[in-house]
Amino acid sequence: MSELVNTRLLTPGMQIVLVDGAIAEVVSNPLDGVWVFARYLSSPTDPSVVGSEEMIFAQDIVEAREP
Amino acid sequence: MTGAKQGYRPGLVDLGKGQISREIFVNEEIYAQEQERLFARAWLFVGHDSQIPNPGDFFVSGMGEESVILCRDRATGQARGLKAHGAIHVFLNSCRHRGMKVCRYDEGNTAVFTCPYHGWSYGADGRLAGVPYFREAYHSGLDRSQWGLVEVAQLCNYKGAVFATWDPAAPPFAEYLGDFARYLDLTLDSWDGGEGGIEVLGGIQKWLIPCNWKFPAENFCGDSYHNISHRSVDLAGIGPSGSGRRDMREREMARRLQVSFYERGHQTGIYVMPQGEPTPPAYGHSPIVSEYFAHCEDQRRRRHGEWARVIGSPGELFPNTALHPRQPRTIAVWHPRGAHRTEVWRWYFVDKAAPPEVKDFLRDYYIRYSGPAGMTEQDDMENWNYAHAASRGVIARRHPYSYEQGLGYETENYQWQGLRIPGTVMDITEAKSSEHNLRNLYRRWAEFMAADSWDELATWRRADQSVVRAAE
Repeated sequence: MSELVNTRLLTPGMQIVLVDGAIAEVVSNPLDGVWVFARYLSSPTDPSVVGSEEMIFAQDIVEAREP
Repeated sequence: MTGAKQGYRPGLVDLGKGQISREIFVNEEIYAQEQERLFARAWLFVGHDSQIPNPGDFFVSGMGEESVILCRDRATGQARGLKAHGAIHVFLNSCRHRGMKVCRYDEGNTAVFTCPYHGWSYGADGRLAGVPYFREAYHSGLDRSQWGLVEVAQLCNYKGAVFATWDPAAPPFAEYLGDFARYLDLTLDSWDGGEGGIEVLGGIQKWLIPCNWKFPAENFCGDSYHNISHRSVDLAGIGPSGSGRRDMREREMARRLQVSFYERGHQTGIYVMPQGEPTPPAYGHSPIVSEYFAHCEDQRRRRHGEWARVIGSPGELFPNTALHPRQPRTIAVWHPRGAHRTEVWRWYFVDKAAPPEVKDFLRDYYIRYSGPAGMTEQDDMENWNYAHAASRGVIARRHPYSYEQGLGYETENYQWQGLRIPGTVMDITEAKSSEHNLRNLYRRWAEFMAADSWDELATWRRADQSVVRAAE
């Protein structure tokens, strides 16, 4: 089981891996502990979202990577 | 049967006799009716735009019993005809999903308001932006455009003061104010008469008092009869010139008036200086402040001419916004918190352009006078607290309060030395006191309690129509 990601520590430029395997880059963080704004870099389940910016739910984030 | 379990009914406010039943202060059913009849329909003060200068800024306020968010959205540019800043909104502070407060801070700046319960998240424009498992659990079928934060029906930024109403049928704020606007301006304009040139000083003071909200509301209508209860403060000399509690030298030469607007429910006290007489000096304990205000008064005379002979005194914008335009300059809102409890929120104002020394001096004076630790406000709170408590019993409730003072001595089209005073006026220069303004508050209160719609409440519109018909 992967370690729980503390979304409050995510900063713009960091990459996050989502539960469906998608990877996104953090754009901004409202620091509410629930959401981050991120741009999709890849998405195996829905390639059409690549390049778009979305609010990502904390529980969908399984890993955080430094840029 | 004393009527304790009955709600509002005609006769509780008897202005012919000048008597008002204690029931309207202590009856819980009447209190519940007030929430729908008054607070869901009237225009209410929410805050000041100087509290939210930047996009994403918010201030959590209240409207009646409801928690609301006053905020500035992040929309910029020409699309909305805006310059640098976003638009101002007032939202119900309650998640559309399960009702949790979406904002539990007093104020701040944010990109989103996120509900901590299930995670629904809203932008500063109120739109529902984030729904956890939107694709998976809702199958992308939830119409997010229908589930934004509940927004007030109407909002008005009047000279920086933000007012709002839940009622789409309420008249626009300017119409709700009527000619009372000239008196409200005495609080919202800068000291030199410049339009809306004030800002909030420091934080908002908030505290609870064990009394019905109408006790403080009527007190601020211009109840000068209770001055005796401030005698100890006057003796202590907390005023900005070292005596009394305020600089009041205008009393020696001005006409002292109570002004009411029958169809609106607003009222205030004022002083009218004699023609050609300068405003007396004030703030004797600080040469810098004294000089600043003397300069501003001079500017105000140049800007407003004869109208600048009017000096503000406490007033009440119906139903629960108290105005204190002069010393100290504040607005208070009497938030209802049950029939037997009121939460007071008090804003303090200074001229934006005032020197720092002036702002510092005023802050010290303001909190010495007003607020939970203010010596003058403590006198008032003690009265409201015990008057309410002593009116709750079944025997006490049988006996109405007296509001007969000055009944029948009101004047329409009042003028003095060439200056006409808008509103219905009671000149108390010689009479010393009157309950004229207090009666006006309860006149309008009873109208709101009895009326089913704004068609009944906007009586001035009927008068306008009859004028038009007569002209035709």
